[in-house]
Amino acid sequence: MSLLEVRDVTSGYGEVQILWGASMKLDEGKLTCLVGGNGAGKTTMLRSVMGLLKPWSGSVWFQGQDVSRMPAYTKAEMGLVLVPEGRQLFTDMSVYENLEMGASNKRARPHVKKNLEKVYAMFPRLLERHTQKAGTLSGGEQQMLAVARGIMADPVVLMIDELSLGLAPLLVLQLFEGLRALRDAGLTIMLVEQNVQMALAISDYGYVLAEGKSGIEGPARQLIKDKHVREAYLGL
Amino acid sequence: MQQISLLLASLPDGILLGFVYGVAAMGLTLIWGVMNVINLSHGPIIALGMFGTYLIFFKLGLNPYLGLFLVAPLGLLLGILIYVVAVHRVINAPHLSSLLATFSVNMIIIGLGTAAFTTSPYNVDFNMGSVSLGSTTLLGTRLIAALAAVIATGSLYLFLYRTRPGKYIRAVANNRSAAELMGIPSSRILALSFGLGTMLAAISGALIATFFPFSILSGGGYELKSFVIGVLGGLGNPVGALIGGLTLGVLEAVIPAFMETSWVPVIEFGLFILVLLVRPNGLFGAKQ
Ligand SMILES: Nc1ncnc2c1ncn2[C@@H]1O[C@H](COP(=O)(O)OP(=O)(O)OP(=O)(O)O)[C@@H](O)[C@H]1O
Ligand SMILES: [Mg+2]
Repeated sequence: MSLLEVRDVTSGYGEVQILWGASMKLDEGKLTCLVGGNGAGKTTMLRSVMGLLKPWSGSVWFQGQDVSRMPAYTKAEMGLVLVPEGRQLFTDMSVYENLEMGASNKRARPHVKKNLEKVYAMFPRLLERHTQKAGTLSGGEQQMLAVARGIMADPVVLMIDELSLGLAPLLVLQLFEGLRALRDAGLTIMLVEQNVQMALAISDYGYVLAEGKSGIEGPARQLIKDKHVREAYLGL
Repeated sequence: MQQISLLLASLPDGILLGFVYGVAAMGLTLIWGVMNVINLSHGPIIALGMFGTYLIFFKLGLNPYLGLFLVAPLGLLLGILIYVVAVHRVINAPHLSSLLATFSVNMIIIGLGTAAFTTSPYNVDFNMGSVSLGSTTLLGTRLIAALAAVIATGSLYLFLYRTRPGKYIRAVANNRSAAELMGIPSSRILALSFGLGTMLAAISGALIATFFPFSILSGGGYELKSFVIGVLGGLGNPVGALIGGLTLGVLEAVIPAFMETSWVPVIEFGLFILVLLVRPNGLFGAKQ
């Protein structure tokens, strides 16, 4: 069964339409990736899924329920969690407080201790710096914190917008390994990536978004061999 | 020499009054810091706090300082009501909209207040005795008001830094959409913040009522002082507001020892403009 389904969503900013019918299904326990060129509308799609942006038409279904009109915080409470593009940390608050805020929803609160152990094991650097203001962390540390904060929300579906942007290759590798481990532990993940090659390499399934419309999709292993994808996104 | 003794006599009063100014400014600054709204209904709410004390003292026969336990929750509720009715709709609109919205609330409160109390002055004659320290006398009312102000500041600080809803307020102030993504209902948190800002304004009014005569129009002056203090201390910074309040209280005590009292506002607003020009984030730093 698909945990999250996006059906033919259209949306945009003001008068400007960006999404012209985007669809997607996330299967439980799978790592799915969404790729597409700059400005294709990936971030807009995630914002519409969360409800930060109201979908103009189409619908979003989460765990079999129509959540198209629900506010973002209700969806977070239900377990649909987005690690947004550009990190969006609480820069004036400490690392620990950011993690605490990640666990603000009622579902996550009883699991704070377990999840803290999990994220500190994944990113020991955050434990070393837990009293530091988030805004003073390095770019890489901020990205770790953004992902860690998302995990603290005890997600049913974790969506990550631009995991690897601006990070050192070694850290990217480490983050991808971390995601794979989470997936293997049963978490459903959606990844939006610039690094198409790597994203497809660790994903189970992939979608391509072009000019605000869903295009090619398929098992990641097949997409990576697809002639069009190779030409357009992998530069091969 | 005569000036020095005059100064010594009025300085402690100025400092004690400064604490109360600080609380008023904190209310303004909290709302600005969390939602970038300049609350133009701040003054009339201070005046309502004054009338709160008046009614509690004369109609209920309660000690005005016990009355704070009534004024505070009522202020909180009033603020939440104002937010829901007038501010929420314009929260994402340009500043002019929220200025107009809170200005309308300002007019409504003054209108209703004038109907109920007229604009003539009221007085709460409440004496708590005094304490003598050498040549200076400290009025009991001012001492208790300053103490109440310190307690209010400390509680606000503990609330914002040690409790879950307080941390939500800071998170929403810092990044509203990220807070929403983490499951924090930001609209409710904004309403709570507006309520708290209003509560602080009402408390400061309730405290000032025992110092000076007042009318429904008296809030305006304190609103302006709150702006000056907010800018001195950095808008959005509670501790800065307290320090700014003390600064203003001291200035008001010191200036009359050297020149006509009518110079006080001139100097205050001169300072206001100077700080805006030289250190727009406030003398004591601010969020941003
Ligand atoms: N707040 C906004 N107001 C107006 N237009 C916007 C806004 N945000 C994004 N857009 C436009 O919407 C289009 C899609 O942007 P979006 O951020 O969804 O792309 P993306 O696929 O995430 O790109 P990238 O890979 O560069 O992050 C772009 O043309 C962008 O300029
Ligand atoms: Mg994007």
